[in-house]
Amino acid sequence: MLGVYIHIPFCESKCNYCAFSSFVKSKEEQRHYITKLIEEINSYNGESEIDTIYIGGGTPSILDEDLFVMLANAIKKKFNLLENYEWTIEANPCSLSEEKLVCYKNNGVNRISLGVQSLLDEQLQFAGRKHNREMAINAIQLAKKYIDNVSCDLLIGLKGMNRENFLSQIQTLANLEISHISAYMLQVENGTPLFKMVERDKYLLPDEDESVDVYNEMVLVLKNLGYDRYEVSNFAKKEKESRHNFKYWTGDDYIGFGLGAHSYLQGRRFANSSNFEDYYSGKLAIEEVLTENQLLEEHIMLGLRCKNGISKEFLLKKDYDIKKNENYLLFLSQGILIDKGDKIYLNPDFYGVNNYIIVQLLP
Amino acid sequence: MERIKKIRNFCIVAHIDHGKSTLADRLIEKTGTLAKRDMQEQLLDSMELEREKGITIKLTPTKMNYTLDGEEYELNLIDTPGHVDFTYEVSRSLAASEGAILIVDASQGVEAQTLANAYLAIDNNLEILPVVNKIDLPSARPEEVKQEVEDVVGIPAMHAPCISAKEGTNIEQVLEMIVKEFPSPTGDENGKLKALIFDSYYDNFKGAICLVRLFDGSLKVGDKIKMMQTGKVYDVIEVGVFVPNAKAVDILKAGDVGYLACSIKTISDVAVGDTITKVDDPIDEALPGYKQVQPVVFCGIFPVDGAKYEELKEGLEKLKLNDASLQFTPEVSQALGFGFRCGFLGLLHLEIITERLEREFDLDIITTAPSVFYHVHKTNGEMIELSNPSSLPNVVEIDYIEEPIVKASVFAPPEYVGAIMELCQEKRGIYKDLTYLDANRVRLNYTLPLGEIIYDFFDSLKSRTKGYASFDYEMAGYEESDLVKVDILLNGERCDALSIIVFKDRAYTRGRALVEKLKKIIPRQLFEVPIQAAVGGKIIARETIKAMRKDVLAKCYGGDVTRKRKLLEKQKEGKKRMRKVGSVEIPSEAFMSILKLDDGE
Repeated sequence: MLGVYIHIPFCESKCNYCAFSSFVKSKEEQRHYITKLIEEINSYNGESEIDTIYIGGGTPSILDEDLFVMLANAIKKKFNLLENYEWTIEANPCSLSEEKLVCYKNNGVNRISLGVQSLLDEQLQFAGRKHNREMAINAIQLAKKYIDNVSCDLLIGLKGMNRENFLSQIQTLANLEISHISAYMLQVENGTPLFKMVERDKYLLPDEDESVDVYNEMVLVLKNLGYDRYEVSNFAKKEKESRHNFKYWTGDDYIGFGLGAHSYLQGRRFANSSNFEDYYSGKLAIEEVLTENQLLEEHIMLGLRCKNGISKEFLLKKDYDIKKNENYLLFLSQGILIDKGDKIYLNPDFYGVNNYIIVQLLP
Repeated sequence: MERIKKIRNFCIVAHIDHGKSTLADRLIEKTGTLAKRDMQEQLLDSMELEREKGITIKLTPTKMNYTLDGEEYELNLIDTPGHVDFTYEVSRSLAASEGAILIVDASQGVEAQTLANAYLAIDNNLEILPVVNKIDLPSARPEEVKQEVEDVVGIPAMHAPCISAKEGTNIEQVLEMIVKEFPSPTGDENGKLKALIFDSYYDNFKGAICLVRLFDGSLKVGDKIKMMQTGKVYDVIEVGVFVPNAKAVDILKAGDVGYLACSIKTISDVAVGDTITKVDDPIDEALPGYKQVQPVVFCGIFPVDGAKYEELKEGLEKLKLNDASLQFTPEVSQALGFGFRCGFLGLLHLEIITERLEREFDLDIITTAPSVFYHVHKTNGEMIELSNPSSLPNVVEIDYIEEPIVKASVFAPPEYVGAIMELCQEKRGIYKDLTYLDANRVRLNYTLPLGEIIYDFFDSLKSRTKGYASFDYEMAGYEESDLVKVDILLNGERCDALSIIVFKDRAYTRGRALVEKLKKIIPRQLFEVPIQAAVGGKIIARETIKAMRKDVLAKCYGGDVTRKRKLLEKQKEGKKRMRKVGSVEIPSEAFMSILKLDDGE
């Protein structure tokens, strides 16, 4: 089933660690962008049955209600939303308001992904976030009032993190009865302010081993709290997995609209330009039809990231007999891989090093 | 004057850095062989590598015309390498010459290779013309150096031209003396063809090219020739000379130095040192040729990408064409797969060959630690020769091991005697004698195990004498020694390509240094990996690589799978550079790292 992704590349300010293309732009520019975005949606003439919508960014909650409504209407006009759909919007605690939540709910949004990142004021300040602990908690509670399905993003490995202060945040979030957590290890990307800070002081951040220890402990804590690790960095209460994101990992089709948005339809991948001018003129940054070998590699690469696993039948159809790969046999014997029916799964204990394992398993 | 009387064939010999190539350039320039604008610094060092390292590796012939007293002479210069590893190249050019210019640096005086090369020239009955170079240096002491040449080398030197090749001072005098002092070749251009192949190289269009010196007879296009040693017969398709680039001519005659091409596709058909004659009018006896040079340093060379084995083989074959001393035989390693055991004349030679393989043939290679040839006497009375530590038999089967010994002489200013003695002692050297050549120079003679010299002797000698010492050695047979094999175990499994043979008392230090180095180089693996050094069954050192904790690609943002893909592609490439020993992945650099291991580390 097809999913729709909408990209809103605007933020109130740029965070210290962020290497994504997001921009601080005026209301007029935002309006102009939304007009162009709607034109793009209107010109789409493919499959119209969908079951997921994901509005990501940037910070989609930055949009004023009128712009959001224009956008939502365009989507609903073009696409036929199946019953039991999932419609997510990303928001951050600063720009989310009761008015906006009402507007989202009335237009059909039924899932909110909140960029909390941390519940410690010092860490939030360090990361360049504009909110504090209190605002984050308030935002979660407010969101829950209108939309039950709330997910929070967390960063592991921020300055000053230790086992206690990190795990207590988890407990706080669980008490707020959120249904989903995405926990990412902080990546120090070249070109970000954080990169320069780390260059100046290499002991600024907790060391990787420590972060991994905390991550592993968090996994156990979350499990006890009823959050199942269904992907490397994603944890959900029963049946609260992000259905939209799952499409990325299982090779399902999705169509993306907006600056730099990626699409994948029937083995064809394309992406809009990440430059406003080029995007407005309709230029694609990427357009490719995946080869059989690429399909195979992506199946392995994505399947081992999540609890979906990889299908032996699929591999065989692509002429890859994984049983002839000695690494595969080794990993099975070490309990790193689990062989069950048609499926091969990665033992979740090894999610953290999945990349290494994936490289070893490629044909 | 008869044609042959106007030919002078000569080479230039010297200690490394005394200015051979610079003088050669000056001679070419002075004789107008090449216009100044076409001159490139160090013209004859045509290999990129030669220019970079500032050394001459290959001999290169050049024909120059020079007019003296109204007669035009043909001067054939053969440039030679100065480094100790390439002595054999020198002897090859000597056999094609009648005279040798012996350059001595006006400030440094006689050095180890000055002496070694002068003796080679004397052994070949060449006329020697000493030339004192670098008189432009403030520290130049030309008169003392002349005296030193007379005293140490034992040849008259007071008439030696004092020149500055760099500034072009007194070059004319050198040219004059070449004509006056060196004899012209003898030979009969109407006689039967007798030509010596003194070098060869591979040209992609013309096939193997032979560099020849004609002693008798003549050679032209269309001649049917025979290589006397290999018995192969060819039609000559081109003859020519180097001016200094290859230039085709109609005919080569007795006394000439030049080249010939006959579309030789099989590289091994050309044997340097072989004699060429004509098929329909052959000579009876070949020239004595060269004695086969024996490599003394060995190592394994493997392609990083196992699929490139054939390309590696081809590269080695092509290099061997003009480097008779390079030897190689196929080898299989558990860790590295298929490759070659290669023999070299020394460490520099090894370094040059590996660099040429990488640059000229675009190959990624793995080199194992250099080793020497050991004589292993087994308890059953059998003696085996081996250079590969992993082929060493079980300890219980070994009666004793002999290692190659060299006679080494070190030339240096007297203030460094202490430092040199200390170094030689550390390297298990046995002191022989010490001679004062003059007030500023001593010669120390030692016998040393070759295995110690190939380790890091050169570098240590250089650093401990601030670069003032020079060094030469010759092989001096084998001696019994207390040697053991140090094995490296990764996760309990022996990695054959990392084994080394060392003197027993050094086993601990070397084993310790090795495991520490490997710990730094081998990346974390899924599980903890112990690295151990062992002698026999006994573990002498251990380090542990911690288990990998994190290797996860960034999140798949907004369905952007392409970013992940790119990272994956990169990692796949990286994986190709890894070698697997048991369950442990080792980057190819690890095998080479043990080359650069010093005890200080």
